Amino acid sequence: MVLVSVDIGGTFTDIVSIENGEISYYKVPTTPKNPEIGVMLGMSKYLDGKKIDEFLHATTIATNSLLGQYGLELPKIALITTKGFKDVIEIGRQNRPELYNLNFHRPKILVPERFRYEVDERTDVSGDIIKDLNVEDLKGIVKNLEKNNIKSIGICFLHSYKNPENELKAKKFFEKYIKNISISYEISPEPREYERMSTTIVNAALAPVTSEYIRKLESGLKVFGTNDIRIMSNAGGLIFGDEASKRPVNIIESGPAAGVIAASEFAKIMNINNVIAFDMGGTTAKAGTILDGNFEITSEYEVGGSSHHGRLVKGSGYPVRFPFIDLSEVSAGGGTIIWKDEAGGLNIGPKSSGSDPGPVCYNKGGKYPTLTDSNLILGIINDKMSGSDFELRKDLSTKALEKLGNPYEIAEKAIKLAVLEMARGIRLVTVERGIDPENFTLFGFGGAGPQFVVRIAEELNMKKVIIPPGPGVFSALGLMYSDMRYEARKSYPEDLENDYRKLESKIKTKLRNPEFLKYADCRYVGQGSELTVPVTEINKNKIYKDFEEIHEKTFGFKLNKDIEIFTIKLFAIEKRNKPKIKSSESKKSSSYKRKVYIESKWLEINVYSRDSLVKDETIKGPCIIEENGSSTFIPQTWSARLGENDEIVVIK
Amino acid sequence: MNWEIIGKGTQFIAEEMGVALKRSALSPNIRERMDHSCAILDINGRIIAQAEHIPVHLGSFKIGSKNILNYMEKNNITLNENETIITNDPYISGTHLNDITFIAPVYYANKLICYVINKAHNVDVGGPVFGSLNPEAINLYQEGMVIPPVKVTDDIISIILSNFKDPDTASGDLNAQMAANRMGIKRIKEMIDKYGEKDLLEAWDELIKHSRELSIKRISEWPEGSYESLDYLEKGNDKIKIKLKLTVKGDKIIADFTGTDNEIDYPLNAVLGVTFSSVSFAIRSAMNYDIPTNDGFYSIIDLIAPYKSILNPESPHPVSGGNVETTQRVSDVTLKALSLFINEIPAGSSGTMMNIMLGGKNNNKYWSYYETIGGGNGARYNSNGESGIHSNMTNTLNTPVEIAEKEYPMFFTAYKLRQNSGGSGKYKGGNGIIRSFKVLNKTYISVIAERFIIRPYGIHGGNPGKTGSLYLVLSGKKKKMNSKFSSVLNENDEAIIETPGGGGYGKK
Repeated sequence: MVLVSVDIGGTFTDIVSIENGEISYYKVPTTPKNPEIGVMLGMSKYLDGKKIDEFLHATTIATNSLLGQYGLELPKIALITTKGFKDVIEIGRQNRPELYNLNFHRPKILVPERFRYEVDERTDVSGDIIKDLNVEDLKGIVKNLEKNNIKSIGICFLHSYKNPENELKAKKFFEKYIKNISISYEISPEPREYERMSTTIVNAALAPVTSEYIRKLESGLKVFGTNDIRIMSNAGGLIFGDEASKRPVNIIESGPAAGVIAASEFAKIMNINNVIAFDMGGTTAKAGTILDGNFEITSEYEVGGSSHHGRLVKGSGYPVRFPFIDLSEVSAGGGTIIWKDEAGGLNIGPKSSGSDPGPVCYNKGGKYPTLTDSNLILGIINDKMSGSDFELRKDLSTKALEKLGNPYEIAEKAIKLAVLEMARGIRLVTVERGIDPENFTLFGFGGAGPQFVVRIAEELNMKKVIIPPGPGVFSALGLMYSDMRYEARKSYPEDLENDYRKLESKIKTKLRNPEFLKYADCRYVGQGSELTVPVTEINKNKIYKDFEEIHEKTFGFKLNKDIEIFTIKLFAIEKRNKPKIKSSESKKSSSYKRKVYIESKWLEINVYSRDSLVKDETIKGPCIIEENGSSTFIPQTWSARLGENDEIVVIK
Repeated sequence: MNWEIIGKGTQFIAEEMGVALKRSALSPNIRERMDHSCAILDINGRIIAQAEHIPVHLGSFKIGSKNILNYMEKNNITLNENETIITNDPYISGTHLNDITFIAPVYYANKLICYVINKAHNVDVGGPVFGSLNPEAINLYQEGMVIPPVKVTDDIISIILSNFKDPDTASGDLNAQMAANRMGIKRIKEMIDKYGEKDLLEAWDELIKHSRELSIKRISEWPEGSYESLDYLEKGNDKIKIKLKLTVKGDKIIADFTGTDNEIDYPLNAVLGVTFSSVSFAIRSAMNYDIPTNDGFYSIIDLIAPYKSILNPESPHPVSGGNVETTQRVSDVTLKALSLFINEIPAGSSGTMMNIMLGGKNNNKYWSYYETIGGGNGARYNSNGESGIHSNMTNTLNTPVEIAEKEYPMFFTAYKLRQNSGGSGKYKGGNGIIRSFKVLNKTYISVIAERFIIRPYGIHGGNPGKTGSLYLVLSGKKKKMNSKFSSVLNENDEAIIETPGGGGYGKK
């Protein structure tokens, strides 16, 4: 049995394979414009000749194309909507993303005014059709679409989540002429016209690119004996390639979702209930909470949006109403730039050197010193990246930091600022959810996570940190531990039993013997947003009661007000067999000494190789544990040992 | 010394207070519109760190905190550990009655170290109308209950809640505000544990000094001199003058509103705190640099607003509309003056929040609904203005059509951009919005809007944007309305609202 998972990041494509419990990791360069090429090259190099049983995948193709990165271009698309409402897509919710920037810009509009078409039709709030759709009206539009060579359209009519008749009629008509049609009822059947329209349009923009990518990947995989692709969705479950092609909004946060799944599955194996998963790469650091073994799902998301102290800045990106694992961006990544303001104050970020040109030490043209440069000259990371012939240029880093003052003092201060910022980011998002991080276990992974994670725990008064096996490729590993998961939903349900049953029959054919998970988004009448309640039995009073409990936990109070069920959601889950990994064996730990700059002093400290760690032998900080692709710093007053599942357990 | 680290940590505490407040508050105003602010003050009332989410609160603390501390001194009020003061008197705390302020001391080893303070918009603070914002008010007493700075006791809270129309919500919000202060106190004490009192106080001085230095650096690039500008508010067909002489001189900016019209018996008066907020919003935006919000930034602004003028009225003149409309005009005149020497300042934006208040009885239940509508954003030095968006002193989210139709007896007939309403020029002003709806049964409508007579200005040769307008279609007959009115709509009557476009930038 050979399992292969592939996670495509900005710089590297991570490939993990498990064969009979033996696990191997590979990193190959990403080929951003045609990511499937990098995948195929890497697999041919390392898996030559082997037949694959399952191929699992996380990809950033959707986000990258939407943001126009790496020369990826979006196709021309059109919007068909109700008469009087074509500009809703531009007006949004009327707010601006930046308060004090007089020259702010909204995100680039995906459908220009000339490709927005109005149709004289109207459904009212109770689902009654007040004005029928006249198909004759659509004929003129088709001519226009063809003239402008438009290959993908989005259709969104008012109140279609209640009655989709006019949308379906329009779809049927356009199908004869247009290849990619996204209708709002099928993409995101929820009220709030702007968010539904935006989700539909994002889907329409992504459909051609994503389906083409998946088609190429599938045909490339035939050589390896499979053309069955399973892709991680935003909601933390795998879906098949055809679903991702039809509804690419499914896979926008594919990679980060895999990281949280990985942390939650490992936590289960280790019997840890409450976890904060901290994933830090080159450009961003993200945190997700796992409470009582469950990760949280949210529908509020904006692609390409920016965040302020871990919270989404509304209006900064394109809203997508679709289930997402609730992840907060807590700013800095390894490429975050260090700079001095006009009055000589030291600052970090929000600018990042990203993966290209990257930190100064990559010697790829980066001019401004970054957090990675700081950890390099301080001795936290080595100048030889283990497991590769890639050398980091310490001399260049030092030179760049010298421009700001004493390079070691600047570097140490910058790292402290970064730790403070990430710790506060985590604190704010947990306080917002009514959680005290002190009683949680912090999981640190991603290329840069292990360098910072223990110091972040210190700042948050947390007592325990886990560095999982393969932290640099942990998201790819997480794919192996994921289940298949499909979603369906309905707003303003009338008859819960019946409505859930209808949703079940809608998605059960997509999977084998699925189990079902039910949710209900509820709110007090008059509230502006909803909370998601897991539904264990279809009983209104029970749901209301659970809602009140969650409300109290989240916001700290209950109200003496009527409750309404806004949207019901259903997930169909098909469990996969999870691989067992053989545990490592070592007789004696090996280490060498390295000079590291800590609290304004150079200290000689131990640097261990992770492969050599012996089970249950405690090593004391300050020390460093190095492995393929990452480096864990253990400060003074903390100690580490290798746990049963090859994880590093760090304790205060 | 690591003042940057202590400074950042202090700013994060202010942010965390805001998150705690938002999390446990009840009213949507606080939870979703984030109409609240938190700050840490030194013992002299200087702002060390502030987390603000809507511009109108920016700077109101600068005036408000000093006023409160002065009031305490004058009235011999000493705040001991675990005590807190509440007030909403706009003439002291600096905005309007709906904004309730709590201030509490931080003691460490029996020594007063600093204060924590927060302000939040409570949904109703008494008075004749629901929500307390009263377009008919001729004095402060018709806008709600006035609470002078007093120590919080159960008795005080009980008097307050007996006067508010939604005491359950209010009680939750007041508790949330006190909890936010407690959180701030706890975190500051943790910081003293970690860094020591001496380092902490020195770092705060350094933080304020640093912001001041950054601010002075920015204004030192501006040409010294005095720059004058003028704009008007509208009351029926009358114009209310707002006149500014803005002087850039050394390390100061002097905003002198001498010549501005007198206070009026109409809720468009803006208390000094609100005036200061609007001026500092414009200046901070013009600096276009990320400057930590603290006294160091505020200290470069000198405000002169003649006593008994509309920008510094005498109590008890009504002030609720000052927060929503007069603020926009004050930021407009300030930006206009700045545009005389900074090219990057845009042309005038729509200049009104277009406040629409609806209510009536539906299915035997009373309902009320408040919305503000964005307009065209002024054209900029390098691009067209954005269309259909909130500018300057407000930044709230609208209510979706599909939600409004579900909850109120309304049926929307259009929600779109108002084509060609932005002023022309080298760069065009953003377009306003057309939002129109019919009502399904008898509905009362009140409107407070601006820019129905005077068009949002263009600059450097750009043309002004179109004025706003509002029509009622009553039994099929279309009628043009004034910028401020109250009226009744019957079943199937329609309101058509057109918001102003932004001004253009530069000659075409």
